[in-house]
Amino acid sequence: MSRPAFTARKAGLIALCLLPGVAFVAVFTYYPMVRGSVIAFQRYNLFDLTSTPFVGLENFRAVLAEERFWTALRNTGLWVGLSLFFQFLLGFGLALLLRRHFRGRGLYQAWVFFPWAMSGFLIGLLWRWMFNGQFGVINDLLLRTGIIDTRIGFLSSPGWAMTSVIVANVWYGVTFFAIMIMAALQSVPRELYEAAAVDGASRLRQFWHVTLPHIRPTLALIVLLRVIWILNFPDLIYSMTGGGPAGSTDIVTTFLIQQVMGGDYGRAGAVGFLVLGLLLAFSLFYLNATRFERSR
Amino acid sequence: MRTPLLAALAAATLTIAACGSGSSSDGGGTVRLRMIESLTSPDRTKLMKSLLADFEKANPGVEVELISPPLDSADQKITQILQTKKDLDVLEVRDHTVKSFSNNGWLAELPTTQWAGWQDLTELARKKAVEVGGKPYLIPYGFYQRALFYRTDWGMTKPPATWEELYQEGKRMTTGERFGYSFRGGKGGADYAVQMISAYNGEALDPEKSFYLKDKKTIFSTPEAAQALDLFVKIFKEASPPDSVSWGYPEMVQGFTSGVTGMLIQDPEVIKTVEESGVTSWSTAPIPKGPTGYAFQPVGYAGWGVTSFSAHKAQAVKLVQFLSEARQSLRFAKGNSLIPISSSAQNDPQFSQGAWKAYLEAQKDPKQVITIRPVDSPGWSQFLVDSDRDVQALLTGKKSTAEVLKAWDEFWTGQAS
Amino acid sequence: MILRRAAKTIVLGVWLLITVFPLYWIVITSLKPKSEIFSMPLRYWPAEVTFEHYAELFSFADFDLYLLNSLLVALVSAAVVTVIGVLGGYVLARFDFPGRGALMLAFLVTQMIPLFIALGPLYLLMSDLGLLNRLAGLMVVYIAMLVPFCTIIMRGFHERVPVALEEAAQVDGASRLQAMVRVILPVMLPGVAATFIFAFVQVWNELFLAITFIDSEDAKTVPVAMNSFITQYDIDWGSMAAATVVSVVPTLVLFAAIRRYIVEGLTAGAVKG
Repeated sequence: MSRPAFTARKAGLIALCLLPGVAFVAVFTYYPMVRGSVIAFQRYNLFDLTSTPFVGLENFRAVLAEERFWTALRNTGLWVGLSLFFQFLLGFGLALLLRRHFRGRGLYQAWVFFPWAMSGFLIGLLWRWMFNGQFGVINDLLLRTGIIDTRIGFLSSPGWAMTSVIVANVWYGVTFFAIMIMAALQSVPRELYEAAAVDGASRLRQFWHVTLPHIRPTLALIVLLRVIWILNFPDLIYSMTGGGPAGSTDIVTTFLIQQVMGGDYGRAGAVGFLVLGLLLAFSLFYLNATRFERSR
Repeated sequence: MRTPLLAALAAATLTIAACGSGSSSDGGGTVRLRMIESLTSPDRTKLMKSLLADFEKANPGVEVELISPPLDSADQKITQILQTKKDLDVLEVRDHTVKSFSNNGWLAELPTTQWAGWQDLTELARKKAVEVGGKPYLIPYGFYQRALFYRTDWGMTKPPATWEELYQEGKRMTTGERFGYSFRGGKGGADYAVQMISAYNGEALDPEKSFYLKDKKTIFSTPEAAQALDLFVKIFKEASPPDSVSWGYPEMVQGFTSGVTGMLIQDPEVIKTVEESGVTSWSTAPIPKGPTGYAFQPVGYAGWGVTSFSAHKAQAVKLVQFLSEARQSLRFAKGNSLIPISSSAQNDPQFSQGAWKAYLEAQKDPKQVITIRPVDSPGWSQFLVDSDRDVQALLTGKKSTAEVLKAWDEFWTGQAS
Repeated sequence: MILRRAAKTIVLGVWLLITVFPLYWIVITSLKPKSEIFSMPLRYWPAEVTFEHYAELFSFADFDLYLLNSLLVALVSAAVVTVIGVLGGYVLARFDFPGRGALMLAFLVTQMIPLFIALGPLYLLMSDLGLLNRLAGLMVVYIAMLVPFCTIIMRGFHERVPVALEEAAQVDGASRLQAMVRVILPVMLPGVAATFIFAFVQVWNELFLAITFIDSEDAKTVPVAMNSFITQYDIDWGSMAAATVVSVVPTLVLFAAIRRYIVEGLTAGAVKG
């Protein structure tokens, strides 16, 4: 695609269009973030805020020395990787199945959209309720159908807890992928398929050579954003297990919440920086690997 | 033709600007106090509002706006507002927060001499009011103390007097469908481990600094502590629901009221909840003791305080005093089933009957000792978070009793120096 | 062919069951009296249907006010942010200008910052600007929160609109913005609709910032009110379930209304590439 050259006259238009967004982000995101990041280098404990000296990298050292942080890091990989994999797979499949018109499609879409209409916090509560070892409906169903004969402590045994929270997260996230991919699929010009069909390409080949390349930039982008979100929004885990039992579902962001609860804001800030660094490193690597910029 | 888009943007901006509904300060001589509560629940907020309405009636020209944040984040929220040092006059201060709030200079000292209500408070209430920092930074509104709630229809003739008996009885009640004990392995679970460890240390424990022995070593350093913690794990494994590894307050109470568990150790607030549940055959008893016949527990409390930066200090103090006077404080204590702060409560039958008897019994027993926890140590908040995780690690077999005790011993030895 | 259709039907059916069952379970729980919620064996249909939790919701809590607040905040924030996204996405897709890559990265980075780091100073800023306890304040924060994603995603949608389309319109004498409104926007409707509903849902469900910036009763939003059902003593599952059912309705209605644009926006002939 050709792109109009940059001229002074266009600079006005560019500035005008970008200004509102940039202003909001600069004032309400970057300004507080830059100011807030200072505490990571301070001794900043709620217990006594009358003296908050700078301590250099002390907070970072303390966090990295904690075995719990490393456990949380490992769990984060598991949580993000598995959640993303299944969300993507099922979301893509759903989008493809829903692409062609069939009777009742509208109604169907409205129903399966439902998980996304809830907040992570509520999803967490709902699944905590369903996974409950005593009154939980999932145990009840498994017992009734004879699949198990004693109740499983889905959220109380370290072996099951991670699986359970990932199941909830997958259930939650499939719709997001489905919607975004559906929207992207709609944008594939029909003529391309027609041309491919004339060439006698099979459906699979059409998918591989027409559909996929066309929606690839969108896919790359939503996958990246999803990785960031899954990692950075701990509400679901927090309301399901609080990171427990015994830290088996702790991820770096629930670990951060615990630091906040403990009142040590300096250390919490350091964890925040580490999360940011981790995501930044991943994103740069990812963008490079998917050649995001050049893919258009 | 740029208009449609720009107009849309402008319209949206205007809408934003127009729909503020904040709390503007009234002119015309009305004083508006802002008050925030911490341990919120819908029922309690309702009661608070009616008390505040009474206050407004008695003090024309003063209005009180009550802020009721969700419980989970309430203390963070209070801290946040305090850090801005504005727009807050009266606040709920808890035993966990009083030290850090006063350290940071956010609390005003409350006058006690010019106030008749001070003399009406129980000795305990007056003591707790000045416990941290030596100055009255809050007036407690009630106390929390634990008792044992138990089913009388599950074949137990008398309540267990010791932790060992509790274990035995609990194990007997456990069938697979129902369990002996409402164990707390989630948030706040470590407190129960500490309670058992304290009881097992017996006479050697220093009640004024309850994490230490009289010889200054920590209570976690003794062989008795290991015994206690081993039994703690056994109670979980053999007499409690497996799910209870993650139970916090609501779940353990629900476990008891829904008939899953036969015993529960909790604060008096639960009396109301149990009365309203379907469970009919139940009673209360003092908390179980250790092998040498001692039981220790701190008395939990929270109260009302005034901010140091309040612009209407006189009215704010008046409000705290109003809430702490017998009539109001008794209503509050009854509504939330708390141990009252007013000495006139002795004449009130509600606090000496039925489920409340266990508390009276405990008060009369010299071996049921009230302790003071080191809530004023710098590491207290961190310990609350860390120790709960340790307990879960212990229950799930990721850590041994020895490892946990070693960690706690080191932590509190460090805090002492 | 028949086999394929059958397979497709089965797969879709199973997924429907998996998504809808939890919804069913919430509805059932919201209709059970308190005693039945905690009784064994579990009932898949309440022995006694009650609407007490719904009545409680609207009598005790000002739930209708909270709904209104949430609706206002979500609609305005989503509308503003969609407009901002369309504009920003357009220039990011169409022009190469210095700092473009840096700007995109800067937008992306906002998504990676744990909210906690910015929270303290943001609170002070809001306090200084007099935006605490105001719905307007919440809108401002939400817009800032959503601008990056919406801009980036809109850029993606803009990129897939053939430049020729726009140029054709401009040849006809239309200005750039005219071309955008008349020609590009209709083509991008699925993207715009998806972005709008995404923003709406995010705002509608947002809890953390709402708790932080709103104390007063008359500015509370639905998630904050629902969080109050978790008390120290109890999670009021009945009320929580009822509130969940009520809170999901507006989003579902909106989605039902907009869905057509997302999935059928590009019908044959609407676009000539």
